[in-house]
Amino acid sequence: MTVLEVESLSKSFLAPSGEHVTAIQELTFDVAAGEFVCIVGPSGCGKTTLLKCVSGLMAPSQGVVRVRGAVVDGTPDELAVVFQDYSRSLLPWMSVEQNIQLPLRYKGLSRSEIDRLTGEAINAVGLGEFEAHYPWQLSGGMQQRVAIARAIAYEPSILLMDEPFASVDAQTRTDLEDLLLDIWRRFEITVLFVTHDIDESVYLADRVLVLDRRPTSIRTVVEVPLERPRDQLKTKADPAYADLRSQVFRAIRRQEEGFEDR
Amino acid sequence: MRRLRHLAQEMMVPVGLVAAFGLWSARAESFYFPSLTRIVERFSDVWLFDRVVPDLVPSVVRMISGYGIAVILGIATGLLCGCLPTLRVGVDPIVQFMRALPSPALIPFVILILGIGDAMKVTVIFTGALWPILLNTMDGAMSVDETMLDMAKTYHLPARARLRHVVLPAASPRILAGMRTSLSIAIVLMVVSEMVASTNGVGYFVLSSQRSFAIPDMWSGIIVLGILGYVANIAFVRVERQLLYWHRGANGLAVDDTSRKLQI
Repeated sequence: MTVLEVESLSKSFLAPSGEHVTAIQELTFDVAAGEFVCIVGPSGCGKTTLLKCVSGLMAPSQGVVRVRGAVVDGTPDELAVVFQDYSRSLLPWMSVEQNIQLPLRYKGLSRSEIDRLTGEAINAVGLGEFEAHYPWQLSGGMQQRVAIARAIAYEPSILLMDEPFASVDAQTRTDLEDLLLDIWRRFEITVLFVTHDIDESVYLADRVLVLDRRPTSIRTVVEVPLERPRDQLKTKADPAYADLRSQVFRAIRRQEEGFEDR
Repeated sequence: MRRLRHLAQEMMVPVGLVAAFGLWSARAESFYFPSLTRIVERFSDVWLFDRVVPDLVPSVVRMISGYGIAVILGIATGLLCGCLPTLRVGVDPIVQFMRALPSPALIPFVILILGIGDAMKVTVIFTGALWPILLNTMDGAMSVDETMLDMAKTYHLPARARLRHVVLPAASPRILAGMRTSLSIAIVLMVVSEMVASTNGVGYFVLSSQRSFAIPDMWSGIIVLGILGYVANIAFVRVERQLLYWHRGANGLAVDDTSRKLQI
């Protein structure tokens, strides 16, 4: 069942210089329920603009985004976003627990429901002892875990992630990747994950959508039939992984030959 | 032990200056600079505690009233204008003019409509103290991080929740900076309005002492005003530190009291 449809999405802006800049041109893709889809593309190609249009933060110039059949107009209720810059999306004047609870307070839930969801989310990301801490007392990886906890406490069916591990060191990143896969499986959510890291995209995804340079559209789709659950050592030692990785890399480098073009 | 040493270091220069003045004034027999012992004598006669209720209390009450109204109206209006662009554009020319107008210039006008009572003084204090708070609040509300606002949108936080949990706290460092400036302005205008037209108050006392050549009394009044300003500032810094503890933490500064805060 398709939960997310993006159909002929186009977005242009009026630049300060007065000229029209087209960030996205006729972009189309679908995401099925429970899928883990990664979007990769060269820097500046419009990934963040795409995410803003899909999440309803920005209206498309043309084309349409649908979540479970309903046209997106403002963020749909079942969608949660994890932003790249955790220090600017977490509220520094609130503790970890308060940050996670904030969206829940306006969902019309009972106190006990809110506490339950918050507790589960905090434990799911492994921050049980840090509830009363403030975000700035935690490391970068931990802060991003708070942002993820906030998103899953909200009980979304779709998680949109905008390069969430880009500001985190490489070792922490591998921990967070595995944490995310664990959460994805346990909570049965659909994930749309934007990244510039090719290795990460293949490691995580069922499918990798490769974006074009600006004005961007989907250049290539790479299916990732690697075995699950993924493992940082075993999966990355698999020759199939290296092969898929090169496919994505070449697609980004515009040297594809004999690839499936959609 | 370290705090005592710190305190001693801070006190060294002021105590030294006062001692130097004391030594000089005892010998100099100047009319304008009476001896230190004379000033201390008059200070304890007047301010401990004879004229506290007739003069000091009314002054402080006026200052707090004018300042308090400025804080409430300044923050409310500033948030409104900061969050509603059309309102801001309409209000901006008036605000720019009024903040540039030196507040004492309005005193004759205020006397005309309100006489020389408390209402006049509170109004004068208010008209001067309002602008830094209003402008800083507006500025703070307009500078909320876009990612934070996006986050609030994606989680469907209603407008009142956005205001209370995102905009107001995010703007609070700037708001408090404005309130600090306004505090100084409020004290100055309290003194000025009392000197221009009043029958009581510390400012009035200083001026009338000068006119009746009670110079030691005049100096005692000046000292009281200095103490008032100093205490007000310290109280403000304490409150600010409590309210902005997260801000210092988020910017990597020490959050607890073991390091001295730079007094800007």
